Amino acid sequence: MIELGNVAFGYSSASLAVDGVSLVVGPGERVVLLGRNGSGKSTLGRLMNGSLVPRAGSVSVDGQRRELARLVGYVRQDPRNQIVSAVVSDEVAFGPRNLGLSREEVLRRTEDALSTCGIAHLGDRMTSELSGGQQQLLAIAGVVAMRPRYLVLDEVGSQLDDAARLRVSGIVRALVGQGVGVVDVAHSVESLFGADRVAVLASGRLVWQGAPEDFLRSDRALGLSGLASDPLARALAVAVAAGYRLPAEPDPEGLASYASAPSRVSRGEGSRTGTHELSCAHVGTSYDDVRALDDVSLAARGLTLVLGRSGSGKTTLGGVLAGVLEPDEGGAALDGRPVRVGDVGLALQRPEDQLFCDTVLDDIAYGPRQRGLGEDAALEAAREAASLLGVGEDLLERSPFELSGGQMRRVALAGVVACGRGALVLDEPTAGLDAESRQELREVARGLVERGAAVVVITHDAGEWLGDATSVALLREGRLVAVADPARAASDPVLYETAGLAAPFSVRLCAALGEVGDA
Amino acid sequence: MRRSRALGSFVPGDTLAHRLDARVKVLCLLVASVASFATGSPAGLAVVAAGLAAALAASGTSPLRVLLALRPALLVLGFSLLANTVVLVGQPGVSTSGFLRTSLAIARIVLVVGFALVFSATTMPPAIADALASLLGPLSRLGVPVGGISTMASIALRFIPLTAEEVLRIRSAQRARGARPDEGGALRRVASWGQVLVPLVVLLFRRADELGRAMEDRCYTGEQTSLAGPLAARDWLMLALTAAWTALAVLL
Repeated sequence: MIELGNVAFGYSSASLAVDGVSLVVGPGERVVLLGRNGSGKSTLGRLMNGSLVPRAGSVSVDGQRRELARLVGYVRQDPRNQIVSAVVSDEVAFGPRNLGLSREEVLRRTEDALSTCGIAHLGDRMTSELSGGQQQLLAIAGVVAMRPRYLVLDEVGSQLDDAARLRVSGIVRALVGQGVGVVDVAHSVESLFGADRVAVLASGRLVWQGAPEDFLRSDRALGLSGLASDPLARALAVAVAAGYRLPAEPDPEGLASYASAPSRVSRGEGSRTGTHELSCAHVGTSYDDVRALDDVSLAARGLTLVLGRSGSGKTTLGGVLAGVLEPDEGGAALDGRPVRVGDVGLALQRPEDQLFCDTVLDDIAYGPRQRGLGEDAALEAAREAASLLGVGEDLLERSPFELSGGQMRRVALAGVVACGRGALVLDEPTAGLDAESRQELREVARGLVERGAAVVVITHDAGEWLGDATSVALLREGRLVAVADPARAASDPVLYETAGLAAPFSVRLCAALGEVGDA
Repeated sequence: MRRSRALGSFVPGDTLAHRLDARVKVLCLLVASVASFATGSPAGLAVVAAGLAAALAASGTSPLRVLLALRPALLVLGFSLLANTVVLVGQPGVSTSGFLRTSLAIARIVLVVGFALVFSATTMPPAIADALASLLGPLSRLGVPVGGISTMASIALRFIPLTAEEVLRIRSAQRARGARPDEGGALRRVASWGQVLVPLVVLLFRRADELGRAMEDRCYTGEQTSLAGPLAARDWLMLALTAAWTALAVLL
């Protein structure tokens, strides 16, 4: 078993990222590690596989204290940062080749791991051609091929859509069944299904530990993990209080007989449709022989969700709406006038990767300056956007590169908000943030909508935005297959299936509740 | 997002040329390039050309792609042909011997480009890296870190498409904020590349850092099991055929 005894670690001498943590993880056990961004979850994971050496305390794995990486596999959040090779099978072989195994053994393990993860058919493909979900399965296969006794999964599901996430959790369940001990660093409530134990970190300390049901019963534990306001967590807490026991995988039907309807049913309807309208008509565009968008017409007021599998054309549509991509046919319009570059704010995935100015204020003011506003007006617009996004006055003169990840995300989004006054396109704005930061960001989006802006949110995580949506658009292979109002989107799983998606848990629950109510 | 394959990149397939061992292909490419320049007579060149035709056929590569690959050099080649053919100094006129001499030189270049194209279209990048590592193997006794070099080559190949994708993303994000990278004078354009380079470099360093950690997590030390297996009968046959063909071309 993995034994942490009073472990402490700090990246700088002044502060501790992990402070006096003692934790035991046994074989065949799945422990979910919860906590806010920056609470030390990833650091703890890296201490377990020996890639970080504790400043104090001890780490041992099955009695061993050295070469822990051979025993404990580690999979990260962003698969693109851990793929070494250009070819799938070669990527999976990378780990086993480092272990000093014979060629035959390496090839055997590679094949086994590929089929365990259900991607044997992709063996000869180029890694860069895979979808995000496939890349994450590949990253897991690369670690599984090393036959570790334990696995640390560092938010592996956070960039995946529901269907890919279900596949990953199926694979993890099978591994746990084979006796692999798993530490699942997570921030979603769904990770509790099938967990043996929950551990909560806050400011580097282990503040709560126990069974998943007890976690849901404890207001203190929920609060410390940052999940207290999560609607699904609340629904589960109510059900558990009524005697519900969490099964190995999410079962909305079973839960429905214990739960009442989720408390947040769409606040997006009615009055909160904004004054601005971002629209596109008969948009079609192709990359070489692949049709990326085909006759897409959409009128977005208020908050519009765009959903679809990876490769369905979501991001391309975002680019067209923002005017940075010239479609082959059709075009985008803001309040009836054709969109020019700069009219519509566009935040691509991980916008914090795109900061480049010397100070935060300069970066936010870049857009307004480019628009030709005077210096005073540009700075005024920048300050206004900064306060809207909750970027403090004290940060404005600092370099964006010395901020934390969450702060950088806000600065980058403020830069986008400062440009597009009437309309915004946000591509995966909450990816990688913890529950509370995501909620704050949704509030910002809500605020913008209330001021009349048309906000288009492209996301793989439909469940989290449904409560705020004015309408939901679903893309499949470049075609718009459905536009639904929020009431239907919150309760009709079939809608998601038409787009090749798995319905979010809350939607399946809502549908199951409807059936219970009808009976 | 799918883009057309860059010229000279791997084309998936299951032809004879795809199935040959990468080490054999590296050796054959080397020998064929030497043969293209070592042969003295037009007859020898014809033999080499026949070899290229066979290689193109065995790999399912269109001869048109060879011409496409030559496009960047077309101007220089055309000009050198012209310059060697037309004599302006002394007694102006047309020099047949100059024309012949240059034609032969150009033919040699076309042949080498053709061979290289067949090789790169039928060999996966990691296999090239492995083959080089395996052929350079003896150098490791002299202290050359052959394994490290091959991993480095493999990672570089992996990062090229990633970097191109990031540049595209950063540019479109900046365009959405009103940047006009293609307008203005030369100075402004250079400055606008600076705006792209700052986030790009920060990002690539962060990526490299994380990739390094991920490699460490997967126990990378520099020593790796070689995936190169024993050569099949067809590989030996190919080597023998290439040797005979080269001898014929050079001796003719």
